[in-house]
This record gives sequence, structure tokens and C-alpha cells, in this order.
Amino acid sequence: MFSKIDNSRVHSAAWRISLWATLAFAFGTTIVFIFLHRFVAEDIQRRSDAWLSGEVETLGDVAERTPKDALYERVVGEVAELASKEVPNKARDEAGTNDSVFFLQEGTDGSLKLWVGSGDGQETLNAIRKKRMVPDQPTDINVSGFSVPFRVASDRVDDGSLIYLGLSERDELRVLNNLRLRFLFWAMLIILFGFAIVFFTTRRMLSHVRRITDAASRIGHSDLNTRVPTTMRNDEVAQLALTLNRMLDRIESSMHQLHTITDSLAHDLRSPLTAIRGKLEMSLSAAADGDRSEPIVSAIDELDRLTDFLNKSLDVAEAKADALRLTRSEIDLNELLSIMIDLYEPSMSEKGFEVRLLSQGPVKIFADAALVHRMVANLLDNELKHLPSGSRLTIELRDEEKTASLVLEDNGPGFDPDVLQHIFERRVKGRDSNGHGLGLAFVDAVVRAHGGTVAASNREGSGARITITLPLASEQGSRSLVATTSFI
Amino acid sequence: MRLLLVEDELDIQSFLKRSLEEAGYEVEAAADGKTAQRLAIEGPFDILIVDLGLPDIDGISLILRLRQSGVRAPVLILSARRSVDDRVHGLEQGGDDYLTKPFALAELLARLRNLLKRNTSSGNEATRLRVLDLELDLLRREASRGGQMLQLTPQEFVLLEYFCRNAGRVVTRSMILDKVWGMRIQPDTNVVDVHIYRLRGKVDGKGQVPLIRTLRGVGYVLKDR
Repeated sequence: MFSKIDNSRVHSAAWRISLWATLAFAFGTTIVFIFLHRFVAEDIQRRSDAWLSGEVETLGDVAERTPKDALYERVVGEVAELASKEVPNKARDEAGTNDSVFFLQEGTDGSLKLWVGSGDGQETLNAIRKKRMVPDQPTDINVSGFSVPFRVASDRVDDGSLIYLGLSERDELRVLNNLRLRFLFWAMLIILFGFAIVFFTTRRMLSHVRRITDAASRIGHSDLNTRVPTTMRNDEVAQLALTLNRMLDRIESSMHQLHTITDSLAHDLRSPLTAIRGKLEMSLSAAADGDRSEPIVSAIDELDRLTDFLNKSLDVAEAKADALRLTRSEIDLNELLSIMIDLYEPSMSEKGFEVRLLSQGPVKIFADAALVHRMVANLLDNELKHLPSGSRLTIELRDEEKTASLVLEDNGPGFDPDVLQHIFERRVKGRDSNGHGLGLAFVDAVVRAHGGTVAASNREGSGARITITLPLASEQGSRSLVATTSFI
Repeated sequence: MRLLLVEDELDIQSFLKRSLEEAGYEVEAAADGKTAQRLAIEGPFDILIVDLGLPDIDGISLILRLRQSGVRAPVLILSARRSVDDRVHGLEQGGDDYLTKPFALAELLARLRNLLKRNTSSGNEATRLRVLDLELDLLRREASRGGQMLQLTPQEFVLLEYFCRNAGRVVTRSMILDKVWGMRIQPDTNVVDVHIYRLRGKVDGKGQVPLIRTLRGVGYVLKDR
């Protein structure tokens, strides 16, 4: 049963709680049983001691009153035989034979006067002598040839001889043994039952918590208008859900505020930019000759760069606050990269470097297409701007277990070691870079908004490596491992 | 072509009006939603340009109201907002296309033409395109100039097809990226120019009249006369 339980269940809180609860329960039950066992054992002992004392006294009386003639042995022997049939705790099927009781009379000279019982009388007498018994105080005697000890009571008869009555503890031990076995059986049953009950109740309880966790992680970065599920009950779990939802309300309202600010900033800057661009374009069409149009053309270029910078800045600002709005759809990264490389390849080969894509087929992610397009464009722009002629850029797309992994490797000069630590921060750029320092910050922003990771490092020897992981749209079935490499 | 321009920024409104009139449109302008609604219902328009940030009513609500009162003309939405979901939202709400500010005039005009064409689409697509001595066979994906077959990559063919469909009109880099590569990105490198440069090398051979012209600061144009 246990081997089938998968790892996640073994590591679940429900499993641990029920394990500890069961252990505590088993420990408590054992302690209680030990006390109970001792009480029962003592009680049985007390009863058999009382019987022994009573019987030995009766036998003493009989021994005293019976004349010491030829019949003495028979009379006392028969009385002893009778007594053995009234043994307490005796198993029923042993009624026929008597090996649980013995009667022994020791003469004043220490010789064996009378012996009733199975086994060797002398051996028993020797064992009793070794023990030095106190009269009226039943004692345990181990007789060789018997695996269980005898409980022996003694009495002194008027003629000075000692009589001993022994009762095998076999029956007593059998009763206790029975008790232990039954306890073990029932306790195991109850403990298993208890474990099951605790496990299933805790799991049910915790499944609410898991649902809340799932919902909360789904809500994630952008989808802030959904809430975690609440239950009608008023327990701790319901309180947790309510608290989370109140927190989400607050986060949503501050997100909303941030969006309002960035939107109005964008609007307030874009409107004049639109007017300026339009007027520039109109004067460009009016200015026919090349000399006069040149400054207008460069002004339009500057304006477009400013617009791009504004867009990127606002996106990065929102993404840093985990507030980038995403319109997700299923995208095949393999297809997207092929198109992108197709777009960038002429410029790259123009600059004298080679680009190739290593991919094993479709890799689907659930992402904002426009943002991912711009992210890949930023990565390729970055390479295009910084790689010297003769370099080689390899883009490897892999479908790992739950993530899509995108690795860009080049054999160029690599990242400036001074800025490598902060390469994904705003306005960080290499010494000889002429960009805004926003490109990689934007890449980082987009990747993080989609719940992925991005890392930059310098390769051993020479070159830069950027590693991006993005969660897959869904876990896809195993596909053929035949690598189709497309050289471009 | 009668066009209704709904734009509250008077600066933008005036230059748009002038440029649109130069392009041959008969333009009526409105600075707020109320006026726009009255004008739209009064006179029939072939096409509408609606800015989303109006002082009295949200642009999308305005479009919805106009649609309810029977205005069927296609709408080009102008948006200074950032989020993409507003755009998608706008498209879903019955506006046919959108353009983010700031934009190139050429792109605005191209999108207007597209909207008008879509509205009066014959459904009968040509299988051959002809611009001067340039000929494209859309079924066999083959191009020739002056009877001489051009060795084009599939991507170059798509690019040339786009030029031919817009022969004589300015196309901007972002229009090319959108229509040929299907992405609205703004690369800060010259990736599009290199493609055009290569295509031009194949289309405009030695001794031939150059067909693809660069309009600095604006885009490109394929000569049609």
C-alpha cells in the first residue's frame, strides 16, 4: 500500500499531520495499556495467592486431623487432587490431567513425606529449599522441567512438618497473553482507522487551502479581477480566503491607480507627439528639395525613437511593479522565432555574422503575442547592435518538462563584467552602447510578467549567453526526439 | 468619400483634416462625442475616424451608440492609450481597425483605404498582379520584370506582392512589419531596410527604371507610372 503512495502525497501536510496524530495516539494507548496490564496481572496474582493461602490452610487442617496411618497419604492426596480441580483461570480442556498443581509435605527432617502432582517431587523440594520461603507469603519457584514458574504457598503443620501447595502460573500467563494479543489486534485496528479518519479529514480541509493557493497563483500578475474561492463555513480556511480576497482588492486598486497614472502619462505625451509628427510630415511633403527635407527627416526619426523609448519606459515601469497588462493567447515560440530570424537574418548577414536556430519543433506558450514579439525583437536588436562582424549567434529553443527554454549564445565580446550583475536593470548598458539601456530591462519585464526567468552570463572563453524560461501553455505529450536543425 | 473625424485635440484635428483633404477625402470634424453623434446620424459617411479619449464620452461607447442608431460605416480607432486589451476591446466593439498615436500619415491613409476596400470587397481576388512591366503570378508564386523571371525567396515574394497591391502609395516600415511579418514591433535597427535593399537589388536590375523608391522619414513607394 505504501509503495504506491506517490511522493507528493507523502510530503503533503495531511500525511504528516495524520502520521504524527497516529503516533501520539498509539503512544497514549500503549501507556494506558501498560497500566491496565499491570493492574490485571496484579489482580490475577492476588486472586491466585488468596486461593493458594486458603487451600494450603485447608490442606494443613486436613493433614493435622488425619491420623498418620496407612490411609494418611491417600486421604491427603485425594484432598489435594480435589483442590487442583478448583484451580482459578484454568483452561477447560485440561480438566483430565493435573500438571498445574502440586502438593508436597516436607518432614521435620527435611525429607519428602508426601507428593501429589506430576513431575519429580524431590526436584521440586530442592527448588523450594533453595528459595527459603516465608510462611503465608506465596512465592515464585522455578522447577526444572517446567517452562513456567510455580506460585507456591506454605503452611506449618502442628507436627512440625511443612506442607507446600504449588500452582503453575501457566494459566495466569495464558490469560495475560490473551489480553495482550487482543489488545494488539484491536489497537492496530483502531489506530489504522484513526489514521484514515485523520488523513481524510485533514486532506479535505487542506484541499480548500490548496484550491485557494491554486487560485491565488493563477491570479498572479495580471488577472487581478478574479478572487480565490470562499466557503460558506466560518472556519480558519474561510477566513484565509476572505483575507486573501481583501488583500487582492487592495492590490487591484493600487494597480488600477498605477495604470491610470501610466495611461494618462502616455496620453499626455502621445497627443503632442502625434501633432508634432503630423506637422513634420506635412512640411516634409511641402519641402521638395533634399537639403531642406534632411533636418525634418531626422526630426521624425528622433521623434519615433522618443516614442519607442516612452513605450518601453512605461512598459518596464509597469512590469517592475508586476502590473503589466497581458492579453494572452497560445503562441508557438518555434514559429515566432523562425519568422523573427527570417526578418533579422539579412541585416545580420549584412553585418557579417551568422545566426541559426536550433529547435525540435513547436513549443507552445500562453502569452501576450505583442509583448513577446517586441521582447524577441529587443533581444535580436541587442545582438545586432553589439556583435562584431564574423560572430556567430545560436538560438536554441527547448521544450523542458514544464517550461520553454530559450538560450541565445554568441561568440562576441560578451557582456561588460562591470554591468553584468545589473544587466536587466533600467538604464544599465555597456560602455560602448549607444542605446537607452532599456532593451534588456524590457526583456526582463516581459519574461517576469509571464512568470518566467531570465539570466545573463558570459561564456567561458568569449561570448555572451542569455537564458530565458517561460512556462509552457500546457504540458505536452512526449514528442519525437529527432532534432530537426534549421540552418539559415 | 465623406469622412467624419472625431478628435478633441484641435492641433491634431487640424493637421489631420488638412492631410485627409489633400488625400481627397471630404472631411467633417467633431471635437466631442455629442457633436459627433449628431453629425454621424445627420449625414451619411463612408468612413469614421474616432479618437478614444474624448472629453464627454468614451470613444468605444460612442461607436457603440452610433452602431445602435444604424451607422454602418467602418471606423478607424485612434488611441493614445497603452494597453492592448483596449485595442482588442475596440475591435470587438465594432470598430474595424485601430492605430496608436503617434502614427505616420501614410499608415493612417493606408488603413483607411483598407477599411473602405474591405467594406466594398468584390470577393473576386485576382490571380495576377501587374505594375508597369512587373508581373506577379499569385498562384505559382512567380514574379517577372519585363519578361525576365525574378529569383525571389518566398518572403521576398510576399513583400513584393504587398508593394504591388499598394503601388503608387506610401508604405511605412511598421506597415510592412505588420502586413508581411504579422507583428506590430518597432525595431531600433534597420532590419526592414535591408530586406527592401535586397528586394530592390533583384527587382531593379542594371539599366532598368528603379521601381522601389525610398521616401526618407516616411517609408517606401512602388512607382506605378
